[in-house]
Amino acid sequence: MTSRHHPLPDVGWEPLAGFWAGAAAGELRLPRCGCGGFRWYPRDRCRDCGAAPYEWVRTSGRGTLFSWAVVRRALYEPFATLVPYATGLVALAEDSRVRIATRLVDCDVETLRIDMPVHAVFAPLSFPGVDGSVPAPFFTPTR
Amino acid sequence: MSAAPPARGRWGAATELADVSGEVAIVGVGEADHSGASGRDAVEIGAQAVERALADAGLEPRDVDGLLYRSGIGPQFDERAFHRHFGTDHELFVSHEGGAMTWAATAPYVAAQAIRSGKARVLVNVFSVDWASRRGQMTGGPGAFHAQERMKANLEMPFGWFPQPVYFATIARRHMHEYGTSAAQLGAIAVAARRHANGHPTAVLREKPLSLEQYLARPMLADPLRVEDCCLISDGGAAYVMTGLDRAADLAKPPVRVLGIGEGHSDSGTFWSQQADFTATPQVFSAPGAWAMAGVTPADVDVLALYDPFTIVALMQLEDMGFCKKGEGGPFAEGASLHFDGGGPRSRGSSGVPLNTHGGLLSHAYVLGIAHVVELVRQLRGEAANQVPSAHIGVYGGYTGATASTLVLGRP
Repeated sequence: MTSRHHPLPDVGWEPLAGFWAGAAAGELRLPRCGCGGFRWYPRDRCRDCGAAPYEWVRTSGRGTLFSWAVVRRALYEPFATLVPYATGLVALAEDSRVRIATRLVDCDVETLRIDMPVHAVFAPLSFPGVDGSVPAPFFTPTR
Repeated sequence: MSAAPPARGRWGAATELADVSGEVAIVGVGEADHSGASGRDAVEIGAQAVERALADAGLEPRDVDGLLYRSGIGPQFDERAFHRHFGTDHELFVSHEGGAMTWAATAPYVAAQAIRSGKARVLVNVFSVDWASRRGQMTGGPGAFHAQERMKANLEMPFGWFPQPVYFATIARRHMHEYGTSAAQLGAIAVAARRHANGHPTAVLREKPLSLEQYLARPMLADPLRVEDCCLISDGGAAYVMTGLDRAADLAKPPVRVLGIGEGHSDSGTFWSQQADFTATPQVFSAPGAWAMAGVTPADVDVLALYDPFTIVALMQLEDMGFCKKGEGGPFAEGASLHFDGGGPRSRGSSGVPLNTHGGLLSHAYVLGIAHVVELVRQLRGEAANQVPSAHIGVYGGYTGATASTLVLGRP
């Protein structure tokens, strides 16, 4: 592994293809098991019921800001031009045990508060010097 | 023989361990030179640590018939390196369940089993790193390990939730929200570590003082964490020698007895984003078994060494091991209560506990916990640089994120 690690997600990787297909359609889609529970992160078998099959379902795209960090100094080279930026975890409205890692956008990082309502917004994810972009869910405070 | 019933919880569990209390002693310790980028490689650093540990024990390389290290974390001083370095060719019992992090606490368990079954009598556990020298080759520094996880590479890294300082800044902020933990309380841990490093001859930051005022004035790295909340990146390593209690009595140094061992894990592994109890460590599963095996409680502990990649990890382990109630780690750490002398003459029963009296990963060296155990042995022998008066019980808390471990040691 080198510092040239490719920073864009692999949208063709089967376990997460539904997530990125959802983002391309402007939807936050998450894997739901036949037992009704979300299976996040995706895995072969449900931790609750043991079943294998699951389907990607559209969610509200809403949640609350569980916690975050403001990265003030580049710790990972692809983000060097973005600092300072806020990155953290959103607890999904439908099930707060589901946490989605995200970057907080369109906000003053000083106004972020734990448990504040946030919602997904979709924008191309790209990095300087890296070809291509991927439609991706970011989160922003709900006003 | 069995230890206390393993702790059970919905997000992790304890490993069931046989009772090995009093069977094994640590009879020699050695540290390699700790430094920033030095151009040395991990194998030669490991060799230096083992040489010094054997000299401390008064043993020769041919006396060693067991070697423990961790595979899969980069080149280590393995059995081939051992024989090449010492010019030996005798049979060695080898276990990859050694090294640092959690294994620095559980290696004596492997040794106890090997001694019981006659596979070995004298075992060396060794760990070394050259990450300061190799830093430029790694994604996010030690983050390289996490970058290999495809779920992280696809769901976390694209959004900048990477590497470790970001994970633990996020955990620290949630801990602050839930329990009122303050920057000054995290700072108290960094300041205690630095003061200990300032008094310790092998600490990388022995010549750099840090006051709480200076800490609070420092810029944020991954807010709410400052650089001073984060461990060093070092070249260095250490080793310790173990044998059965009967053999230990004849050696150069008084034996330090292994009284209790525990281990626990989180069901979500190192996926901190999904850990059900976000502001806890698997010490909640590990520590109870170690206390039970040793027959001691946190109140009996004279000197403590906790895996401290970030101040918040040490703080959570203080809580999860029972040194204070959950959420009270901040007030517990305040002032000089974690200093080796409590900021003044410390008496048994005074509040707090001496923590990482060598400076820890924060200020001594980032050798992933193996030097924590070396420091405890020196404390219990009475030969530490920052000596805690009449230290009888020393405890190490190891951590990988996915797992935690607990090692209770007793004075000779």
